[in-house]
Amino acid sequence: MPPVTREEFDILAAQTGLPLSQAQKDTLFDVYPTLQKILTTAAAPMPREAEPSLIFYPEVR
Amino acid sequence: MDAFPTIASASKAIAAKKLSPVELTKASLARIKAHDSALHSFLLVTEERAMADAKAAEARVMAGSAKGPLDGIPIAHKDIYNTADIRTTAHSKLLEHNVPTADSMVVKKWDAAGTVMLGKLATHEFAMGGPSFDLPWPPARNPWNPDHFTAGSSSGTGAAVAAGFILGGTGSDTGGSIRGPAALCGIAGIKPTYGLCSRAGVLPLSFTMDHTGPMAWTVEDCAMLLQAMAGYDPEDPASADRPVPNFTADLAKGAKGLRIGVIRHFFEDDHPVSEATRKGIDAAMDVYRGLGAEVSDVTLSPMSEYHAVGSVILTSEAYAVHQPWLKTRFNDYGELFRDRIALGAFMSSADYVQAMRRRRMLCIEVRDAMADYDILVSASQPGEAPRIDSVPKWGNLEKPSLTMPFNVTGNPAMSVCTGYGEGGLPVCMQLIARPFAEPMLFRAGHAYETATGWRGKRPALVA
Repeated sequence: MPPVTREEFDILAAQTGLPLSQAQKDTLFDVYPTLQKILTTAAAPMPREAEPSLIFYPEVR
Repeated sequence: MDAFPTIASASKAIAAKKLSPVELTKASLARIKAHDSALHSFLLVTEERAMADAKAAEARVMAGSAKGPLDGIPIAHKDIYNTADIRTTAHSKLLEHNVPTADSMVVKKWDAAGTVMLGKLATHEFAMGGPSFDLPWPPARNPWNPDHFTAGSSSGTGAAVAAGFILGGTGSDTGGSIRGPAALCGIAGIKPTYGLCSRAGVLPLSFTMDHTGPMAWTVEDCAMLLQAMAGYDPEDPASADRPVPNFTADLAKGAKGLRIGVIRHFFEDDHPVSEATRKGIDAAMDVYRGLGAEVSDVTLSPMSEYHAVGSVILTSEAYAVHQPWLKTRFNDYGELFRDRIALGAFMSSADYVQAMRRRRMLCIEVRDAMADYDILVSASQPGEAPRIDSVPKWGNLEKPSLTMPFNVTGNPAMSVCTGYGEGGLPVCMQLIARPFAEPMLFRAGHAYETATGWRGKRPALVA
């Protein structure tokens, strides 16, 4: 994932709909690169047919 | 009777009418009164309820109609377990005055087993995000040294068991919240297989990662508590509809013939642990060899992959749970929980689905690796408990969690104390078994505990 600028991050933060203060946005912006790294690791290439571990049971209990 | 009996020893003494549940409960309440002002392990002590439970247990024992091995045993519940007519707060301002109308299934089961409920225990806010100093109650502190962290989120249970306030208690584990505090407080704690114990009536954090489980001084005590906790519950959609085995039946079988795989790269390369922790694990493997087990190393994917998958799933699901309150009562949360969960708002639906796809691949990897092993071994925590004021806010993301891999895969996993580090605080190892192979896990843990002397040392509390 490409790094985001502060301006780009502020747009993402506004899209969340959360009432973030400037200090809270600063904190989240600082950790955002770590989050991006985690998201990239979790979504590393895998076979197209790889199924998620969630299964839908039509017989609802 | 010992000053601090285990559940197993207290149970035998109660059955033989050599120990009174009422006297045992009074001693526990007196100890809480004398020492918990320094440890903050309880959010609420339910003294009246405890004495009523104890008197009822004693009457049953004297009448020869005891409910079983847990009748008269003092316990307490993590404060995310709903308790009818008793405040359940998740240690949060948001639920400061929440009084449920019904017990969670596990609370019902332990009550039916005759346990004596002493109260509700501290937790990290909503079972994630501590230690926090901006909540209505202070964080629990480590009985081995109150300046130090308990880990969490089942912080109160870890502290209260180690301090001898209760003989066992409930925990919950979404990324390590039973095994972490068990490790740092020097007790035993098991995250059972996903689906073995009901989550119904327990405040959710992450639906596919949450596990309920017991914590106690010994492995044997955990097995006894799990017996009264496990089983199918139609009210929990993830509950496994399968027979519950006898968790204590294999305890005496020892470790002879067990095949043990050490995931060494997890704790030496992926998240290097302290020398005391590593030496503790190595010494434990020598103990197992001496008992007749075969020990070798096993390699899995880097722990960062398990951690990434678990973090995305946990944060996404927790954000979904809390989204309404985050939008309307954002600043009523403590800073740590609020900021960690807010990251979920920056994740996409594709991020979540990709993590769930990767999760299945990791489950398959562990299943295949365990074809040659009965037990896997790793660390539970990187070392002794750090000072409570030195825990980094983003510690949950900076280094891969040693416990998260088995929330991702759902395997049963347990923390077992392996001794003490340079600071005199406990260190420990993590044992992992195949899904629903808890009897094997208890067998391995009990064999180690009874071959070593670590269970003989308790923290010296200061009033």
